[in-house]
Amino acid sequence: MATVRFSGVNKSYGSTSVVSDLDLELPDGSFTVLVGPSGCGKSTSLRMLAGLEPVTSGTITIGDHDVTQLPPRDRDVAMVFQNYALYPHLSVRENIAFPLRASKTPRTDALRRADEVAESLGLEKLLARKPKELSGGQQQRVAIGRAIIRQPSVFLFDEPLSNLDAKLRVETRTELLQIQRRLGITSVYVTHDQEEAMTLSDRMVVMREGRTAQEGSPQDVYAHPVDTFVASFVGSPKMNLLDGEVCDGIFTLPSGFQLAIGSFDGGGAVTIGVRPDDLVPTASDGAGDARVTLIELLGPRAIVTIDARGTALTSVVETSRLAGITEGAPVTLSTRPGAVHAFDPDTGQRRAGPDNDGNRSKR
Amino acid sequence: MRDSRTLLAFRVALLWAAGITVLFPVVWVALASVKTPEQLNDPFLLTFTPTFESWRNVLSSGILAAAGRSALVALVTVGLSVVVGSMGAYAIARYRAGGTATRFGMLAAQVLPPAVLVFPFLTMAYALRLNDTLIPVIFAHLSFVLPVVTWFLIGFFEAVPRSLEEQAQVDGFTRFQAFRLVVLPQVFPGIGAAAIFGFTLSWNDLFYGLILAPGKAAILPVAIAGFNTFRGVQIGSMSAAILIAVVPVVVASFFIQRRLVQGISGGAVKF
Repeated sequence: MATVRFSGVNKSYGSTSVVSDLDLELPDGSFTVLVGPSGCGKSTSLRMLAGLEPVTSGTITIGDHDVTQLPPRDRDVAMVFQNYALYPHLSVRENIAFPLRASKTPRTDALRRADEVAESLGLEKLLARKPKELSGGQQQRVAIGRAIIRQPSVFLFDEPLSNLDAKLRVETRTELLQIQRRLGITSVYVTHDQEEAMTLSDRMVVMREGRTAQEGSPQDVYAHPVDTFVASFVGSPKMNLLDGEVCDGIFTLPSGFQLAIGSFDGGGAVTIGVRPDDLVPTASDGAGDARVTLIELLGPRAIVTIDARGTALTSVVETSRLAGITEGAPVTLSTRPGAVHAFDPDTGQRRAGPDNDGNRSKR
Repeated sequence: MRDSRTLLAFRVALLWAAGITVLFPVVWVALASVKTPEQLNDPFLLTFTPTFESWRNVLSSGILAAAGRSALVALVTVGLSVVVGSMGAYAIARYRAGGTATRFGMLAAQVLPPAVLVFPFLTMAYALRLNDTLIPVIFAHLSFVLPVVTWFLIGFFEAVPRSLEEQAQVDGFTRFQAFRLVVLPQVFPGIGAAAIFGFTLSWNDLFYGLILAPGKAAILPVAIAGFNTFRGVQIGSMSAAILIAVVPVVVASFFIQRRLVQGISGGAVKF
């Protein structure tokens, strides 16, 4: 158990910079998720922490130890790879016990502890099997078992759920979180799936092009995205981002479409962001500017795609409020009070938004 | 329906033709080994009373000792080749050691006629007073078995996911431990096939043995060539000796046939 610190970490291959000036502090026992599109440097950062990639400059510390130059075996970390990397020639029991061989634990002790770990993961019936005789979910559990048997300082997860089917992914996600909470071991988890990041993390680091775009609690990142990249990356369906002008609480698109956005600081050219949940369509009898083009039912809620004078907008509506909203029907649009984010149209940086603290609302 | 039958018959006929073509020399040699010298003059003689005169002659000529020496040379050659070759193949597969030039060069060296290398070997063997011993033969055999074994193994190492050894390193092992405990076991089938393949290469070599150890340390192919005497070729005895030499190779080939293709194509140069 330890605090992990990246200080001014850079990674480049030749002249190509993959990670730039990464400064992160991951508190002891926290579950941090690095999330971002592919090529954003999240996996490289994790591999540098594991010791599998050398650092170009900067330092990485685990607890009080500067591990920047240490080989992986001396860092006291455990890792779960995307493909699980189970040793094909070893049985489930031997796979789980394998890290203990490195620490010269007597074989009988190692196997006994492997049995205990396997039991805690519900693998006790599979101990004698080889990895290729297991399902994807079972392989995943074995990989987790092998990671937890040694009680390392840090857990590293490199997209461990992406090879599982959707249902299993959600189940394993819950289980992973329970294990981490039980053991209280500092964990770093890499994924490109923002939903996974939101549900798992207590700290979320959104990365883009080798840099940290934003870090904070998932609630904070969701509620206060620092720029249009984070705003559109986090949240599903994506936030509606619209370029236009604001005047007296009315937002006008270049097409002339108007949307009431309520009280709003400042005016002029702006990019506004409205989460689909905050965009409310109401059935309209007149020939309005907006028309429903598609309704996707999700059960209790539905994703409604709306065409507003050529601009596609997404709204999420509770199924019970779909009365009068049908494909092809005209609608009027409104936003929930105080739910509109504002970004600089040139830089994409956050200008103002809901629940913003005063010093960041104006620039 | 009729078409597919015709096709089937054609295929079967073709396979029979191929089989007979391949097996004919072996059958001929087998028959020759149990014929009298007079009967040998009639190659088409198929019904005769077999005589084991040639076999008695061959077995008393020290052929088994020569086979033993051949086996020793082949085992030592293969042992060294597998140890050094697996590490070399790993380096080439993982780190592109030497780049494309290494892979290509390794194969290109096979094109060199043995005659180019045998003279230096012979000179060195003389200088070290090692001529007519097995040691220069082993070194000469290493010159072609080691590259082939290495080449053979590259593809097998490339098929091992990198994450396996990374996992082992994170699990607390050194790079060499990761290689030995995790990577090597994945390529054991390949190493087995490479070993058998290398064994047959060494076992079948006549040229180096003939020049470097022609006398008391003669290996099996040299001993077989010895039946070509100044009184003419002793076909019966030679046939019996050839059968002794061929059987291990045929048995070995049977076991590795599937991996052979994988190994030979596995090291292919990829751009």
